[in-house]
Amino acid sequence: MRRALRLKRALVLSPPLLWTFLFMFVPYAILLVYSFWSQNYPTFVPDFQLGNYVLIFTDPQYFRVILRTLKIAFFVSLGAALIAYPYAYFLVFRVRTPSLRLALYMAVVAPLWVSYLLRAYTWKTILGTTGILNSFLMSTGITSEPSSVFLYNQTAMIVTLIYVFIPFMVMPIYAVLEKIPRSLKEASSDLGIGRVQTFLNVTLPLSIPGIVAGFTMTFCLTFGDFIAPFLVGGPDGQMIANVIASQFGASLNWPLGAALALIMLMIVLSIITVSERFERLGQGKFA
Amino acid sequence: MTNRLTLLARTSLTALCATSLASSALAGELNILTWEGYADPSVIAPFTAATGCEVSATYVGSNDDFAPKLAAGGGVFDIVTPSIDTTYSLIEAGFVDPIDISRVPAFNDIYEQFRTADGILKDGEVYGIPYAWGAVPFMYRKDKFDTPPTSINALWDPALKGRISLWDDKSALYVAARLNGDMNIYSLSDDELAAAEEKLIEQRPLVRKYWATAGELVDLYKSDEVWISNTWGGYQSGLLAADGIEVVEFIPDEGAEGWMDSNMIVAGTPNEECAYQFLNMAISAKGQEGVFKVNGYSSTNPVAAKEFMTDEEFSALHQDDPDYLNSLLLWENLGARLPVYTNAWNAVKSQ
Repeated sequence: MRRALRLKRALVLSPPLLWTFLFMFVPYAILLVYSFWSQNYPTFVPDFQLGNYVLIFTDPQYFRVILRTLKIAFFVSLGAALIAYPYAYFLVFRVRTPSLRLALYMAVVAPLWVSYLLRAYTWKTILGTTGILNSFLMSTGITSEPSSVFLYNQTAMIVTLIYVFIPFMVMPIYAVLEKIPRSLKEASSDLGIGRVQTFLNVTLPLSIPGIVAGFTMTFCLTFGDFIAPFLVGGPDGQMIANVIASQFGASLNWPLGAALALIMLMIVLSIITVSERFERLGQGKFA
Repeated sequence: MTNRLTLLARTSLTALCATSLASSALAGELNILTWEGYADPSVIAPFTAATGCEVSATYVGSNDDFAPKLAAGGGVFDIVTPSIDTTYSLIEAGFVDPIDISRVPAFNDIYEQFRTADGILKDGEVYGIPYAWGAVPFMYRKDKFDTPPTSINALWDPALKGRISLWDDKSALYVAARLNGDMNIYSLSDDELAAAEEKLIEQRPLVRKYWATAGELVDLYKSDEVWISNTWGGYQSGLLAADGIEVVEFIPDEGAEGWMDSNMIVAGTPNEECAYQFLNMAISAKGQEGVFKVNGYSSTNPVAAKEFMTDEEFSALHQDDPDYLNSLLLWENLGARLPVYTNAWNAVKSQ
């Protein structure tokens, strides 16, 4: 009886385990092996040496790019949170008609079905020197000459990435806000607490897990992005994923690329660990 | 734009393939890894009709894209068209097969300096069939300059801040080195390379965008983002002229690099027969006319070129003037120095 149960459990678990093993563990193990190899013109050869890691920590170009990527990922997540929170709040607490709420929710989520490339490309036509934004500013008389400050810089990348990844911020925040019992807010106002105080002391603390989840997702997605720098980034737009892509491409230095990818993985994993702590902290304190 | 173009090119080629697949017997399928414009339907469609060989093209943005694509394996590509600085690396890495010249009758019509170039030969065997050549000049928007620029230092002019573009390629270092007065651009010492890197870092705030593909540069000019840049001589200026944007190409005082592209057969291709047909077509009058009409590049086969070029065109493309080619700094294989150059260029972009 117990054996049958165990067998059943193993059967249920094995497909996902196999999947994880084949498509997560094996590739990363291969990457790890590669990261100890060495470059040998015109390609690379098996080896066991730490040169790639030493190079990453001693050549300042890698540190600079990682730092730049972290900075951009932070601003994208912050920007997305600042826009997504009020929007989700408005949807949950202000829109009374369920069909309207669904429509507005879908308006944010639907772009996910459109190719990322297309969505990023759209911003090129909006922000360009002869783009929509400039035409608008000139036709309204706000500016007299087209400005080139909107496109091909880090701000353009941040704007584009906020737009591309904002659904991942709206969805978790919407989910937690929806789960907050209305009775808590009513109790708060029955006790004579004002709206602002209720928001700060009840709603906001209860929605922290959603913000953390959204922040983490947006941050990690941005951290690994390499299309936005290519499309709307300027000469200072290179991010860590671009460097990795160039190691696997132009430089034909897979070992260095693999080492960089693993360091990137470490950074992402530590971000996820920290955010999990945050989420639990929020729950322990307020729930 | 580029992506759209590539996609378009691919879909149209696929559509072509699909229609002819239905009508004719399938002789073979060629996957070529090449440059924008080298697989134009005006050339490919007649080729497929004549030989039954279907052609799908994938485009590279830089010579550094060839080796990685071939290294990834998978037997995807049958023919590659790298430039003379990259051909030898591919031979050394074993990515390409030697070519049986007896199966390419027109080979001896090709300019001698091309068919005997070091980059395509190894141990007495030929690995590449020279296809097209030209310079990497600079170009500028005619309406934006009162006095035409004559030196590379125009791309370091603070007055042109935000209007400058440079090819996102190691060749940026060649440009900067020449500005520093180092003409040995393919054998720069560590110090000279560091000086070139420094020069590019100094220029970076003035750069609007480093262009990655031909289509992107055309876009940058069309949308009024860029006024001056380097270019693949003849190609982008031709595309821009067709859009009514007048650009002028010039060879700066500091000289220009020259390039020559060759078709090579990928090692172990299962479509050898079609591959040879393609090599022959490429240096025939039809193939050479295609690259001349579409890209504006010079022909490697003067015998074929005479068949479709007027006398004026023949001399305008320096077909009768070997000294012109010698005046260019023809790209050279960097050998083991390649990673050092690539790293220096990456360091510029990390700033």
